[in-house]
Amino acid sequence: MRMPSLWQAALAVAMSAVAVVPGTAFAETLSIWARASSSNAAQHMIDLWNSSHDDKIELTTIPDNQMVTKLATSVQAGDVPDLISFDLIFMPDFMKAGFLTDLTATLSADPNQAKVAKAFRDLATYDGKLYGTGFTPDVSILLYNKGLFKQAGLDPDKPPKTIGELQQYATQIKEKVPGAYGYYFSGSCGGCNIFTQAPMMWGSGATLLPTSGDAPAMEGPGVKEVLTMLKDMWKAGVIPESAEADTGANFQATFETGTIGMQGSGGFAIASLKANHPEIDFGIAPLPGINEGQASSFVGGDVIAIPTGAKHADLATQFIQWQLTDEAQLEGLAKNLILPSRSDLADNKYFQEEPRYITTAQAVGIGQTPYAFHFNDMVNADQSPWLTMIQTAVFDGDVDGAIQAARDAMHAIAAE
Amino acid sequence: MVRALRKSEGFLYVLPALAFVGFFVLWPLAQLIYLSLTDTSLLGGGKFIGFENYIKAFEDKSFWRALWFTLKYTVFITPILMGLGFALALLTAPNRPLQQITRGIVFLPVVIGIGSSSLLWFWLFDQQVGLFNKFLVDIGLLAEPAVWFTKADMALVAVTISITWKVIGFGMLLFVAGIQSINGEIGEAALIDGGNYWQRVWYIILPLSLRIILLTTLISVIGSMLAFDQFYIMTGGNPRGQTFTSVYWIYQNSFISFKLGYGAALSIILTLIILVFSSIQVFLSNRSPST
Repeated sequence: MRMPSLWQAALAVAMSAVAVVPGTAFAETLSIWARASSSNAAQHMIDLWNSSHDDKIELTTIPDNQMVTKLATSVQAGDVPDLISFDLIFMPDFMKAGFLTDLTATLSADPNQAKVAKAFRDLATYDGKLYGTGFTPDVSILLYNKGLFKQAGLDPDKPPKTIGELQQYATQIKEKVPGAYGYYFSGSCGGCNIFTQAPMMWGSGATLLPTSGDAPAMEGPGVKEVLTMLKDMWKAGVIPESAEADTGANFQATFETGTIGMQGSGGFAIASLKANHPEIDFGIAPLPGINEGQASSFVGGDVIAIPTGAKHADLATQFIQWQLTDEAQLEGLAKNLILPSRSDLADNKYFQEEPRYITTAQAVGIGQTPYAFHFNDMVNADQSPWLTMIQTAVFDGDVDGAIQAARDAMHAIAAE
Repeated sequence: MVRALRKSEGFLYVLPALAFVGFFVLWPLAQLIYLSLTDTSLLGGGKFIGFENYIKAFEDKSFWRALWFTLKYTVFITPILMGLGFALALLTAPNRPLQQITRGIVFLPVVIGIGSSSLLWFWLFDQQVGLFNKFLVDIGLLAEPAVWFTKADMALVAVTISITWKVIGFGMLLFVAGIQSINGEIGEAALIDGGNYWQRVWYIILPLSLRIILLTTLISVIGSMLAFDQFYIMTGGNPRGQTFTSVYWIYQNSFISFKLGYGAALSIILTLIILVFSSIQVFLSNRSPST
């Protein structure tokens, strides 16, 4: 038998020593998947973690529309990332399917969890258990072009506070400013419209998506009023013709042409407009309801969770708790002009120089997110009842028929 | 023993190919068939439900509308691709420098991904910033920039233009290969007999290229029947779901509505339809004269 050489023996002794010394551990590398539209925000948070921890995190960006497929197949194949950041709207479906790890014990004991925007806490709860928490939120707001407001004789510091005012201002812009339009929305994009038109409905008191086959759907004040407003503006030519075919590809680009008076958009628009279109003087306001004081918002963005079967679930849980701390929320998100998921940090030192961020961050607190299974079927699909309702009401002019058809179709989906 | 081995010698030669086809084609196909008989969801679960998905498919108006639109698209684009491809092949078949360079230029878009080219054309057709619209306005064909994707027919034309630009070079190349493989002496004999250019094209080149024409048509028809990317990117199935293709509808059901079982049943139906088309074309191809 060949004897080990001296250096081999020394190495073996050194390795044994490392193994028995308490507290000595090898640093781990965690993997996180984040959808493309929020990967920038996630990267800031990860960079901050990596700069102060021995265990590192590696981000993999997944195209938005592939996230569900990737997660579903990875869970079923037993090869999942340690963390996952995805559109919070899919939480109910994923929790029900058993894709996510129960984090109730950890999060319930964490005082920061109670400060996370309510929409995130609600969406991450299933059967009384918590499966995730807020990570990189975004909210819908009303974006308006102050330059066009001035040209139309409107006060650029007084955005509309009701949908009646919104229609009136939009019409005035169309009439007074040659080549300009008063309002824009992506008429063939279900997701864009649940983000920007739905808050005007539920802010007025409406219940939109049913949670079961006999739950209220498209009920209450706001649904008919908002659809009628859009229909009237479309008929009057206040909305550009291209809106009808826009699948969301021009959701942001049309406002950037400088010819649109107002548009429902998201907090992400602020940084984008400031960087790419400094010539556009724009304002931010909450999305209005029927009456003053009924402003609301759609709280979107990403939740963070641990997929079932994650290899480093303990470390992943540590990261989830850490990202809720003041340090992570302020230095990882707010410092980079990204909204914190904790409502109590909406008014922070980094947003002081840009009040538009404060307006947006405050919308996280007043906003909602519909809790619905089959959200894709009801809203995002290209022939979803939600989208079909908007198209039939606005472009065909049949508001009542559109609402009833959507109600029936949504009940059928919810009953599945 | 030796005799038995000799008997199965042919089979042994094709065994690797058979194993490959069995593993990569037949086995997944068998799984797809089984999946189509279940109510499997992308989110997990699923039980055997017999032919329920197929019955549902026959009652699914959206699927039949998508299939009808796919056929319409195929019938619309195939003659354009074949006619234009053959015309370009006639122009570029001689192996002279100018023709060779032209072939290269026309073929160039073929190597671009269909996703990239669809995105490119989507913006070229844009009402506000699209250069194609501006070009049409500048030459006086349009009074003002058109919104191409609000009408199904306009959307069909827009997608056809983009796909023609993208794939015409492939057909042209196959046709050039077909034309170049025709025995030159036949053309020379026709020339001596006083046949003009068009007579040579009609009586010699076309009949002797029939096999390659049928093969190219088969590839084109299958490609069109399976169209997805271009409509996904350029129209999103709009306006009002009028430009959904069959594959797009299968994608919607499988990955947006998470109904994998139903999506599998729709895929089987589409496979059978394409199989019928392909069989007809292969039959015709076998009856055509060879070069």
